[in-house]
Amino acid sequence: MNVETFKYDNRIVRAFAIVTVIWGIVGMLVGMLAAVELFYPGANLNLQFITFGRIRPLHTNAVIFAFVGNGMFMGIYYSLQRLCKARMFSDTLSWINFWGWQAIIVSAAITLPLGFTTSKEYAELEWPIKIAIALIWVVFTINLIGTILKRREKHMYVAIWFYLATALTVAVLHITNSMTMPAGLFKSYSMYAGVQDALVQWWYGHNAVAFFLTTPYLGLMYYFLPKAANRPIFSYRLSIIHFWALIFIYIWAGPHHLLYTALPDWAQSLGMVFSLMLIAPSWGGMLNGLLTLRGSWDKVRQDPVLKFMVVAVTAYGMATLEGPLMAIKTVNSLSHYTDWTIAHAHSGALGWNGFLTFSMLYYLFPKLYQTKLWSTKLANYHFWLGLLGMMFYIIPIYIAGITEGLMWKQFTKDGFLQYPNFLETIVQIVPMLRLRSIGGLMYLGGTLLMAYNLYRTARSGVFEPDTEAQAVPWQQAAETHGQSAWHRVLEGKPLIFTGLAVVAILIGGLVEIVPMFLIKENVPTIASVKPYTPLEVLGRDLYIREGCLGCHSQMIRPFRSETERYGEYSKAGEFVYDHPFLWGSERKGPDLAREGGKYPAAWHYNHMDDPRSTSPGSIMPRYSWLLTQTLETDSLPSRLQALRRVGVPYPAGYENGPAQKDLAAQQEKIVAELKQGSVNADADKEIVALIAYLQRLGADIKNAPVTTAAK
Amino acid sequence: MYKEVLDKITGIGLYGVVSILIFFVFFSGVLVWSLALKKAYLSKMGSLPLDGGERPDPTNERIQS
Repeated sequence: MNVETFKYDNRIVRAFAIVTVIWGIVGMLVGMLAAVELFYPGANLNLQFITFGRIRPLHTNAVIFAFVGNGMFMGIYYSLQRLCKARMFSDTLSWINFWGWQAIIVSAAITLPLGFTTSKEYAELEWPIKIAIALIWVVFTINLIGTILKRREKHMYVAIWFYLATALTVAVLHITNSMTMPAGLFKSYSMYAGVQDALVQWWYGHNAVAFFLTTPYLGLMYYFLPKAANRPIFSYRLSIIHFWALIFIYIWAGPHHLLYTALPDWAQSLGMVFSLMLIAPSWGGMLNGLLTLRGSWDKVRQDPVLKFMVVAVTAYGMATLEGPLMAIKTVNSLSHYTDWTIAHAHSGALGWNGFLTFSMLYYLFPKLYQTKLWSTKLANYHFWLGLLGMMFYIIPIYIAGITEGLMWKQFTKDGFLQYPNFLETIVQIVPMLRLRSIGGLMYLGGTLLMAYNLYRTARSGVFEPDTEAQAVPWQQAAETHGQSAWHRVLEGKPLIFTGLAVVAILIGGLVEIVPMFLIKENVPTIASVKPYTPLEVLGRDLYIREGCLGCHSQMIRPFRSETERYGEYSKAGEFVYDHPFLWGSERKGPDLAREGGKYPAAWHYNHMDDPRSTSPGSIMPRYSWLLTQTLETDSLPSRLQALRRVGVPYPAGYENGPAQKDLAAQQEKIVAELKQGSVNADADKEIVALIAYLQRLGADIKNAPVTTAAK
Repeated sequence: MYKEVLDKITGIGLYGVVSILIFFVFFSGVLVWSLALKKAYLSKMGSLPLDGGERPDPTNERIQS
């Protein structure tokens, strides 16, 4: 048996560590700006590029894919080499992974403020970037599996299982949800429409949280917690059950994002039951982490790494208890569309992902630079500032969410809505929105302290680009037993394991995907629902560009409190031409599903110019650029063609002439309506298209009797 | 909201029952397998992260005195 000497690649770990810190600060700064704009709409300086609707997706993408994504790569590239006792499969692939991922982030930071977005949450990036993501992810997966295959350690530690499940599932999710029809370089329409699109999107959205923010970080917890505490995990058996139960159940729970929507009761209940079942493996994992520290809590008092880890694991437990509770239909009817969801997401993001990332950074920098942390005291300040910041963020926003939910549902004793004006419910929570931003500022302040501390740590030490290590390859050991090559492969198991993990997630995935495809054939068509006119299509694309759905839903749930406020509840057949669906998931303004015809065209014009002129106290930003910018109509043919390809029945040749005629006629009609309201507007301005779309919302159903005809 | 949508799919009621059954069988399998694992194997696996094949780490004590 030969003892082999080899080197771990630290350069790639350092690179990911540095960008994790940088993108973390950037993502939090954008979050701060978004938070301030919610109570001070003028904070966008009337610049369209930094208006809430456009920077909200920038914030979520930056934090999820740039901060946590790079943190994940940092932790995996460090731990995988050591768990496999092998250098990464290919240094070239490592660096393609690194630079490719950074290029994707930069392209997101450019395109999202410019308004290039698919509007699908956490999947906003347009199709060329989506393809780049898929390619880079394949590079990462090859590097991951290649390293596992050339490992010197026979057994695959549970952390590697989590990494593998992450790589495979994210690929499946990303590809399924990214099916779009391009209409130009930076525009595409989802292949799916309405209900079907919503099902795919939330199957993706739910599992993106599961397999991008949770499973890789659980793998990292299983490596870094024992490492930092210098003792094995409390129960390895429990970690096995944790893994299989978690990946198997997680993928079934998606329907909880669509309670009271298109799904039938049994499917909603199934989603709810599986969500509740998730508490068991999640808490198994949390307890496994916390119990690892039993008997060494004195270390936790002194060591900032462990301190951050304890809070991270506890936050994981809290968020994974709260999530299932929010999946209970009665709770969801109150929490959905409110700030409660934002509070829940941030307890996971700030607590679990943020704190675990910080702990890894505090662990890794001294290791990589062969020194001690520059200041333990500063790290402790960071800890307390971060923890208090988290509380200051989450608690006010919980109060805001519950307040909103209750006010929306409150009736007077005579049976009328107590707060019929949506604005009343917003004005009520503005103080909470202010408090929340203070919490965010504290959290950001803590992160800046960390950045300085890590910088000083790096300066005080010497970077070690490669760490030398020694091990006996298990294959050699096996050969001494006279085993065949085929048997070695079987014994190695990574491929079999990978197959099993894929089967586990696909079974659950199919449970959600099968109804999704069957549903297409079964959506009752409503005779009066017609495709959008050319002007409305362009108006709808402006609605998507400005990110209106960040604050306005288009989905009236079947509650009396909603039908009283907004009108008849939403029907599946209304969305058959909606590529993509625009149901939204949060209300900072009223639902718009029945907006058409509610106000005259001139009201919309004035409201977009200055929302406070028509709605005093409104927190909506001004959209005055819509009044001056000329509507881009050159791309109309390619847009209509793309829509026809995904199933919208525009007649052949419609885009070459007739469409332009219809467009001009409708523009003139709206200009005439505006004139009635004493507004003089040019027909070719963007605002005219947006008004056309807003006036169409829900109009098909309002104007005609509902005749449901199943296929 | 519009239950009629999926209700029209033939035999869809069976779906929920099958889902729970698949999970039950799968979970029981994992449970039996994990309970059958040998103690020596478990403790070896548990201590894997602690041995990265590196030379003794001079910075193992991270806390400043």
